Amino acid sequence: MTEVLPLPSLLPLGDGALLVRFGNTLSDAANRAAIAFARVLEQQPVAGIAEIDPNLVSVLIRFGEGADPDRLAGEIRLLLSRFDGAAAVEPAHHTIEVRFGGADGPDLDTAAAALGLSPEAFIAAHNAQPLRVLTTGFAPGFVYCGFHPAELDLPRRDRLRDNVPAGSLLFAAGQTALSATTIRTGWHVIGRTEFRNFDAAKLPPTLLREGDLMTFVEAAA
Amino acid sequence: MSASLRILRAGPLVTIQDRGRFGMLRHGIGESGPMDIGAFAESASGLAVAGTAAIEFTQAGVDFEIVGGGVSAGFAGGNFVLAIDGARQSWPTAVKLERGAKVTIKPGASGNYGYVRFDREIGVPPILGSRSTNCTVGLGGYEGRALHAGDELPLLPASEPAEHNTRAGGTEGPIRVIWGLHADLFPAALRQRFVSEPFEISPRLDRMGVRLADPAGIFRDTRILGLVSDAVVAGDIQVLGDGSPIVLMRDHQPTGGYPRIATILSADLDRFAQMRPGSVVTFQSISPGHAYAARVR
Repeated sequence: MTEVLPLPSLLPLGDGALLVRFGNTLSDAANRAAIAFARVLEQQPVAGIAEIDPNLVSVLIRFGEGADPDRLAGEIRLLLSRFDGAAAVEPAHHTIEVRFGGADGPDLDTAAAALGLSPEAFIAAHNAQPLRVLTTGFAPGFVYCGFHPAELDLPRRDRLRDNVPAGSLLFAAGQTALSATTIRTGWHVIGRTEFRNFDAAKLPPTLLREGDLMTFVEAAA
Repeated sequence: MSASLRILRAGPLVTIQDRGRFGMLRHGIGESGPMDIGAFAESASGLAVAGTAAIEFTQAGVDFEIVGGGVSAGFAGGNFVLAIDGARQSWPTAVKLERGAKVTIKPGASGNYGYVRFDREIGVPPILGSRSTNCTVGLGGYEGRALHAGDELPLLPASEPAEHNTRAGGTEGPIRVIWGLHADLFPAALRQRFVSEPFEISPRLDRMGVRLADPAGIFRDTRILGLVSDAVVAGDIQVLGDGSPIVLMRDHQPTGGYPRIATILSADLDRFAQMRPGSVVTFQSISPGHAYAARVR
């Protein structure tokens, strides 16, 4: 099914940035458009842009020193008018080994039960197909991956968990997220991996990019 | 001659800050940097050369001692009570600190944040291009944390001429904003009240954000849910699920999902950061075009 997206909107975000937004709700199409447009801006750099940051359904464009925001907005509109939504980069594919449940995933059993599944059936359904990295945000190296089918859609927990360790696999809202630092979260903590998507000593400090494909597998006991 | 600085007393949230950590948003890492960028720059203005990083202190101040050789130091931001070996100094100022000099910085008449910079570089390693401390994630600065009594920081030679930029922020009057990412989700009558009724700076403020008291109850019934998480910038004014307005500051998370009614102009954010709890703040909306003309940084 082809989703019909609203026309992209160009919104000021403070006096130092513009946001190009491809949807008002989170959808696969809006996310793909945001990722693809960020690639366009990387491949055809526009003078005056200091930084671009793709988000779930938008691209943040920050002005550089001395940039003319009105001229910049005009150039971005021109790029948008030619933008066909196609991503020009082949995604990388990562396989992530996860220890599900137990102390590594204290919410696995309740999340599975809430979906009417046994823990084993939940893990199988969770790992059934590769997910796309939707964006990096919230915390260093923290990635959102999606989308699970509708039958795996579960709201967040009512209460936040403190001190959730790096490498935790989180589950909510039809998505799986992967933490790379210690965080506080209301997502269901379902497992943990040795993989770390953040190393402050490296440039770039993260390994995963938006658009990459992620296959989660159960680690050997 | 080698010199270092030993912290003798630290109020809450004394951190090392340089101009900020740029270009890392797509990795989920915010910019950090000085809460009052203008004062940070001003603290170097009396020095011939200056390190890129300052020590930022909060209302309660900081005391330190110079160990080893003498250095020059510049002080600015808010209004603090500065003494060197017990002798009261003016504020802001730039002075020579001899070996063994004891510097005490105590609360003064106004402001939340002050800065001291040296003709030396503070000897902590740059992390991802910056010495700024991001306390939210424990990154940069001195071991990713606020400074405590007993910490000792090397002061290394610096060669960069000090920057002398001035910032054109207003000194009084309403804090200027442009309408925010989700302004159109707030009723027009509410937006009108937002720019006419006074708010108050609450005691709940830190480098991540400043919670505002809303005595007129403008956001009492605001319930805007289910927004897609999106990029956040410093100065964004978001409204939490319980109706509390919060201004996001330099250590904000890079993305957020609460509705944002407006964003404070970069030219007015320094002044806003220095407003103490209990201060009354009013907002004035201006067009993006006028905001761009007033833009700093």
